[in-house]
Amino acid sequence: MAHETAFAWALIAGMALTAFLLRAVFVVPGSRLRLPAGVEQVLRYAPAAALMAIIVPDVAMSQGTLAIAIDNPRFVAGVVAFAVAVVTRSIILTILAGMLVLTAVRLLVS
Amino acid sequence: MERHSPPSLTTDATDPTGTSTVVRTDRRQHLRSSQADAFRAGARSVTPLLFGMVPWGIVAGVAMVSAGLSSTQAFGMSVLVFAGSAQLAVLPLLVAGAPLWVMYVTASVVNLRYLIYSAVLAPYFRAQPWPWRVLISYLTVDGMFALFVGRFTPDDGEPHREWFFLGGSLVVWIVWQASCLAGIFGGALIPREWSLEYAATLALMALLIPLLFDRAVVFGAVAAGGVSLAAARMPMNLGMLVAVAAGVIVGVAASRLAPQGAASGASHGA
Repeated sequence: MAHETAFAWALIAGMALTAFLLRAVFVVPGSRLRLPAGVEQVLRYAPAAALMAIIVPDVAMSQGTLAIAIDNPRFVAGVVAFAVAVVTRSIILTILAGMLVLTAVRLLVS
Repeated sequence: MERHSPPSLTTDATDPTGTSTVVRTDRRQHLRSSQADAFRAGARSVTPLLFGMVPWGIVAGVAMVSAGLSSTQAFGMSVLVFAGSAQLAVLPLLVAGAPLWVMYVTASVVNLRYLIYSAVLAPYFRAQPWPWRVLISYLTVDGMFALFVGRFTPDDGEPHREWFFLGGSLVVWIVWQASCLAGIFGGALIPREWSLEYAATLALMALLIPLLFDRAVVFGAVAAGGVSLAAARMPMNLGMLVAVAAGVIVGVAASRLAPQGAASGASHGA
């Protein structure tokens, strides 16, 4: 399934360019670019919303459908891990608890 | 020899006593050591993140090779693109023989969240010289972004935040590339059903908590989570952007409706 070399590198180059530009668009102009106060106010809410939009589907969906169920290992592990995160605020403990529960539920369900 | 002496020793022409040479050298050394401190603090701060990143990098490495990229191309992709979720998003399209532009669009849409990160980070690094701003842009990823924003505010006056960011990001970069290499060359040894990549999501969960600093933000975040489920079937991860937009709107609305930090109702239970 090897892809033509030029095609693969064109894909990589184009992705590299867009990935960089999207990250650079507000940071690189520096002091030449001042966002209006309203926008910075709006951006207060964006980081938490973005993380939630990454996390929640990964926790509560399975193969494209809603899977809020006790036999979905990701969901059970996600709920436990979230509780651990709230209480401990520790990344390591959150990952450990989540992966342990994930594995336990997977073994129990299968 | 004198002509080549460092600038700190040649700037005392206006100072007849000659004492400022010493003072400036001291200050410079002090500056350098506090920059190094910030760099080290940043590097230390990301170590817990690595538990989520290593498995995710290995999974990305495996996926790139199994989609038909050579190991050079796969490693080139992880170095040049340095955006794990976009890398993973284009692979099924690559396998399906999609045209280049479709893959560009898909990767860009998945990466659109970086636009938000860029806007959030801009005020922190506005005063830095442009090479710093270019480097910071290239190095921005979810984990370090969340950690940094949870720790600093744009006008907190903390010195050397750029060094903190660089220290953390470099560790992230090196470990990410190493994990991708491990995945490219040896990842097939790890059973897929272990779902190791889930560790990355769990790490983001822990990073989310300090970002939920007031009730309006919590409302926004809950709205974003709900909408992300409802919109998950939209093509190319567009649902994520819809969810972020909804979260921001709900957050702003909540802060307008209860301007004083909404201390009013613990009973609302977000």
